[in-house]
Amino acid sequence: MYTRKNQRDLTGAEKKSFVNAVLELKRRGHYDEFVRTHVEFYTPDGESGLRSGHMAPTFFPWHRRFLLEFEGALRSVDPGVSLPYWDWTKDNTPAAALWGDDFLGGTGRSRDQQVMTGPFAYRSGNWTVRDNVTDDPFLTRDLGRPGRDPIVLPTVRELESAMKRPVYDVAPWDSTPTKGFRNGLEGWVKPGVDQPWRNHNRVHRWVGGDMLGAASPNDPVFWLHHAFVDLLWDRWQARHPKAGYLPAKKLPAGDPQSGRVISLHEPMPPWNVTPSAMLGHAKTYRYA
Amino acid sequence: MTGATTGVTAGGGRTRRALLRTLFGLGALGGTAAALAPLVRADRAARTRTVDPPAPGARPYREAVEETYRGRHISIRPSAGVATTGPAAYRPGVHPGVPADDVLVDGRPLKLMRRADGGWMSVVNHFESFPTPLAAARAAVDDLHGARLSLDGPMLHHA
Repeated sequence: MYTRKNQRDLTGAEKKSFVNAVLELKRRGHYDEFVRTHVEFYTPDGESGLRSGHMAPTFFPWHRRFLLEFEGALRSVDPGVSLPYWDWTKDNTPAAALWGDDFLGGTGRSRDQQVMTGPFAYRSGNWTVRDNVTDDPFLTRDLGRPGRDPIVLPTVRELESAMKRPVYDVAPWDSTPTKGFRNGLEGWVKPGVDQPWRNHNRVHRWVGGDMLGAASPNDPVFWLHHAFVDLLWDRWQARHPKAGYLPAKKLPAGDPQSGRVISLHEPMPPWNVTPSAMLGHAKTYRYA
Repeated sequence: MTGATTGVTAGGGRTRRALLRTLFGLGALGGTAAALAPLVRADRAARTRTVDPPAPGARPYREAVEETYRGRHISIRPSAGVATTGPAAYRPGVHPGVPADDVLVDGRPLKLMRRADGGWMSVVNHFESFPTPLAAARAAVDDLHGARLSLDGPMLHHA
């Protein structure tokens, strides 16, 4: 059993080990497989087809499993490495140590959003983006979108509006519910409101660049963001101990979401793993 | 957790994914292809919350658009006949959604997808939806900051 630490508590050596393990996975071609998997398993709720990673109750267990797979790959390079998490309610400016040259590097330059600093800058020679929305080979960011209409990261209050919700998720189990923890944290709100994203979705928007699009894992901050999302699921479970993953049972054939939403004991693609198997992780890792 | 393969290797991983996809039933809503014609199907409206109408002046998907927006050319050419989303069009490994050739930015496909409330999303922004394909395309131009859309990203086909 190993520990996932808050990124602000990592030592210089730990940051270096983490970065080196990520770069090695990239060098081997393995990193980009994870990007492709994430793209493949994003089915929006206005399309038919099974939803696994997003706009669905499996948002949490799917990403938990996805992160475990990535972390396993990192640990096959260096067994001492684990995923750090990024608490964006606290480390919420581009000046945070997270964005230092010794860690993830900083925001993109204004001309083309290209990240010019840190180990994941294209010009370092070790991070070429291949499976991407654009044909730019360089990583892009636009932290806080400072030009027009700036954004702030989710506040403790915004997060609390999700964490206090007593029910895990509600029908129709997609991006439309205004109740339920899952969509409160995933962060879909009605379009037309000012800054129509909350919590998880807002963070993707705040980072901008590649993190905004279909191929968001091209930015390694993806893993630190989702590690915190994973921790938040732990915290929510601890706070609402009588609440469980929903839907608990397979949706009946007449339900409009039948075949599109995965219930507690049904397997999540691409693995043969059910949400029920992903509810906890005490035997594998803990959060510090 | 251990055990499951990552799907990293080409052979076994892909086959397993294809099998899982078949098992998980793409056919629950076989009629979804028709959902693109009216913005809201009557039966869905009855079951779900109401959908915001398109913004005033917004063109429905069926109309073609050619415009230059912030120096970039947006072209929207609706597919002839029934839209090809849904199970019939789903190819393993291809990002689900609206046929990419329908919407072009500077001649390159911009893949769009539908959200349950009738909104449109593009591959450039997976965390927000827009009332019309044109609005989604303009927002994509805003967020691309001059970058060109990829011709062979994972959203379009599998390598």
